[in-house]
Amino acid sequence: MEFNTQLLYDHDQVLLALMIFVIMLGMGSSLTMDDFKAVFRKPRGVFIGFISQFGLMPLIAFTVATVFQLHPAFAISLILIGCLPGGTTSNMFTYFSRGSVALSISMTTASTVLAIFMMPILLKLYTIGFTNQITAAMQAAGSDAEFVIPTKNIITSLIMVLVPVGIGMFIKSKWPDWAKTAEDTAGFMGIIVVLYLVGTAFVRHAGLLVQTPVEVYVAAVSVGLIGFLFGYYFSRLLGVPPIFQRAVSLETGIQNGPLAFAVILLSFVDPVQSQMIWLAILYSTFIVISSSVITLWYRKIGAYDYDIYRNTVIHNRLFGDNYVTHYPPGFLPKRVLKDPSQGNSPSQRRV
Amino acid sequence: MGKPLYYRLQAENLALLYQKAAETFEAMPAFALRESALNWKPVSYRELYEQGLDLATGFIELGVAARDHVGIFSDNRFEWILTDYAVQLCGAADVPRGRDVSTTELDYIIQHSGMKVVCVENSALLNKVQQLRDRLPNLQEIIVLDPNVKTSAGVRSLMDVYEMGAKLRQAGDKRVEERIAGIQADDLFTLIYTSGTTGTPKGVMLTHANIMSQIRNLPGQHNCNDRVLSVLPIWHIFERLIEMYTISFGGCTYYSSIQRLGDDMRHVEPTFMASAPRLWEKLHEKIIKNIKASHWMRQILFHIAYFLARQYKNSEYYLTNKYLRLKYIPAWIRALLVPLHALRWLIVMPWYGFFNAAVLERIRLGAGGSLKVTISGGGALPLHIDRFFNYVGIPVLEGYGMTETTPVIAVRPRHNLIVATVGPPIAETEVRIIDSQNGEILYPNAAYPHNGRGQRGEIWVRGPQIMKGYYKDQELTDSTIIDGWLKTGDLGVISHNNCLKILGRSKATIVLSSGENVEPEPIEMSLQQSNYIENCMVVGQDKKYLCVLIVPSLLEYRQAGFNERTLEDLEQNDIAKKIIKTEIRRITSPANGFKRYEQIHDFSLLTEHFQVGVELTNLFKIKRHIVQEKYAQQITSLFESEKQKK
Repeated sequence: MEFNTQLLYDHDQVLLALMIFVIMLGMGSSLTMDDFKAVFRKPRGVFIGFISQFGLMPLIAFTVATVFQLHPAFAISLILIGCLPGGTTSNMFTYFSRGSVALSISMTTASTVLAIFMMPILLKLYTIGFTNQITAAMQAAGSDAEFVIPTKNIITSLIMVLVPVGIGMFIKSKWPDWAKTAEDTAGFMGIIVVLYLVGTAFVRHAGLLVQTPVEVYVAAVSVGLIGFLFGYYFSRLLGVPPIFQRAVSLETGIQNGPLAFAVILLSFVDPVQSQMIWLAILYSTFIVISSSVITLWYRKIGAYDYDIYRNTVIHNRLFGDNYVTHYPPGFLPKRVLKDPSQGNSPSQRRV
Repeated sequence: MGKPLYYRLQAENLALLYQKAAETFEAMPAFALRESALNWKPVSYRELYEQGLDLATGFIELGVAARDHVGIFSDNRFEWILTDYAVQLCGAADVPRGRDVSTTELDYIIQHSGMKVVCVENSALLNKVQQLRDRLPNLQEIIVLDPNVKTSAGVRSLMDVYEMGAKLRQAGDKRVEERIAGIQADDLFTLIYTSGTTGTPKGVMLTHANIMSQIRNLPGQHNCNDRVLSVLPIWHIFERLIEMYTISFGGCTYYSSIQRLGDDMRHVEPTFMASAPRLWEKLHEKIIKNIKASHWMRQILFHIAYFLARQYKNSEYYLTNKYLRLKYIPAWIRALLVPLHALRWLIVMPWYGFFNAAVLERIRLGAGGSLKVTISGGGALPLHIDRFFNYVGIPVLEGYGMTETTPVIAVRPRHNLIVATVGPPIAETEVRIIDSQNGEILYPNAAYPHNGRGQRGEIWVRGPQIMKGYYKDQELTDSTIIDGWLKTGDLGVISHNNCLKILGRSKATIVLSSGENVEPEPIEMSLQQSNYIENCMVVGQDKKYLCVLIVPSLLEYRQAGFNERTLEDLEQNDIAKKIIKTEIRRITSPANGFKRYEQIHDFSLLTEHFQVGVELTNLFKIKRHIVQEKYAQQITSLFESEKQKK
């Protein structure tokens, strides 16, 4: 499939840029300096998250792109999404899936900063095959140009996107009330703009949804789902308690969608840009749906261990740090038998 | 993850339940006592049971015989539950009443119940009993619960009795075990004197079989992860049942109070609680006030969220057949609207999903955020409050019952939550709707369409929770319970999806001189939706029309810019009166569904607040006869002034 026309008009680009700004501002508004410090307090969880986000996820994206033999522009876009840091929406989904919000925030914070270094490296590594395909196609069409990943532009755009995050953090420290509003507005804006983009793309290019090959849809949906799955079992394999396991899983699958738009818009040009944007739109749309479904599922299977965790933690909150809750025999599931507080109260650890 | 474990202990009587709970839950906390906001003291199931055994031995030593009545005059505190444990373990029944008991009532209850041992909470109550002592020849022992009260001659402290019993048990005293074995299912566990809304106190005899049936039949899934916040008075059967129920599943009861409710909800994060409508009204008021005080952007977000929740939930209720259905609508007509509701549901869902997560969750956090369910009982929950909490996502289950039924007759289960009803009758319980004029069974009755659903009448109930009778009043018992059916005196109707809806108290019914029957409660509830009206009572028995006594909300007037400092000043202010007049007109307009004879013709502003224990019961129900007596003059002049005008 080739795009004959531009997917986004100029005013769409302005709108998109505005949305990215607002969303990133919202992201910053939910962060404090304490969140950065928290990363170092629980380095193990964050490290597992790091491996999962920058080790597993790009590999998953690469594998999916290769298996489905995606058009190189789509493939590059998918890998780019795979290399992105986690988004703030993951914190909200983690909250509702009864996972550890603290870990989710730490992971989002750490990965956003680390992405400046990790993303260009990973992107270059996994996309060599696909960029060569594009160059070959361009040369076959008579051009002597070479297609390369614009690493410098990517780093610049990542840094540029971090500016509103910084502003958001500043607002949060000065006017916390405003920050809360900014955060909610950002979430709302995000949904509206994504819907608008999907809607207008659909109206302007009526055939687009039909033209898009099935494997592109499958790839856009499955990259998130496989991320959830691997994040879930990878952290479980390492013996992470259930509430952290759910956080790692969601953090792995949910990438920072707006950041993908920013990088694509600022670093790539047509003809690949439109295709890359289209895949990013598809990913952003489907990830909201699949995260919601996964969240409802986690909520259900996690209800029991979460109730135990909450009750145990509240016992320590009210009865003192040294209180030990003696649940009746057979009540605790195997995975929280040794520590019903799931790592939150040292006194509850049983030997 | 492991499969969730929900359970409920079953036993033949409370003493055996206490024993089983200690064996099953051992060191799990049974009760938590507040010392400060973040410092609570837990008492485990084992500790409580062992202390109960010791205290019971002390009681036996003092001469408490099996099936004796032991008075406990106290509000919620640890010593209350400990004393109750001891009373049950020694095979006796308790006669509970709160701190605010009047001397007259105290006198009546002690004499009528024939108690030999009475436990009082504090020195104020101790003085009251001491004053009466000469008149109470049967009373042998007075025990003070509060360990800080100094005891004088003829008075013991609970601690002394406990220590006496502990020593005896150490020496091998096994009398308690014999007592436990001797308890029959038909024995009383409590004798509750109801002040009620009418007449002299009546002693309601409730048996072990009564309460155990309630524990067996209440809908709900719980386990020892549950935290239950206790705010209602423990001597009230509803709170009492919830505490006993909590023991059956090993949860922990946290003793809070109305004043500290907000803080405690945030710190304890209760998963379950018993509550009264007033509590939800207060919380609703607070939430609305907070929203009004917040940033305008947040207000908009809230309104969008609430609007979406309403659309979404209403469609969901329609599609799942979970809405109040008083009129019969054939299935095919219902089916016509199904596609529309399905469409709305689908369109609204993603938006609702987002706003629910971003906005409504923060409101739920105000109630601790962990509430799985809460049962509201002891009065009708105003419809707008009911709707608000269920739209917002705090599942308030309204229940219906009375002391005479230990108390639950019907309650909305979580999975069948139909707003504006009190749900279907609980298991093992049958409900009939009776025409109070001629005694005809209206429901269930095959002669009527739909077996009598939709027919209005008095509610009669039969089931294992029905009391043994009124103590020493066979006549009243016989006129209340007929062939096992208890006449509740409440008016109700069974909906077409088998839920009970309460229409009002039949005894509160006002019969106008025109012969029209008016239920004052729905009108009062609507009037109270006005912020300017704190409380009100509709009057007009045997008159041509209705009038209303109103306690205005001083706070609201002051916020609206009035300078009046007291209700008396407000009563003099004509503008204030005009506001009330407009409010009444607006609320009771025919457009709001009020019939002609339900219109309010005049009103009178009262100069005193209604007070709990005086004009209001502990559950904030109006004691109509008291208000009528106290304001007889105002009522007369209301109807006279109207006459003169004409």
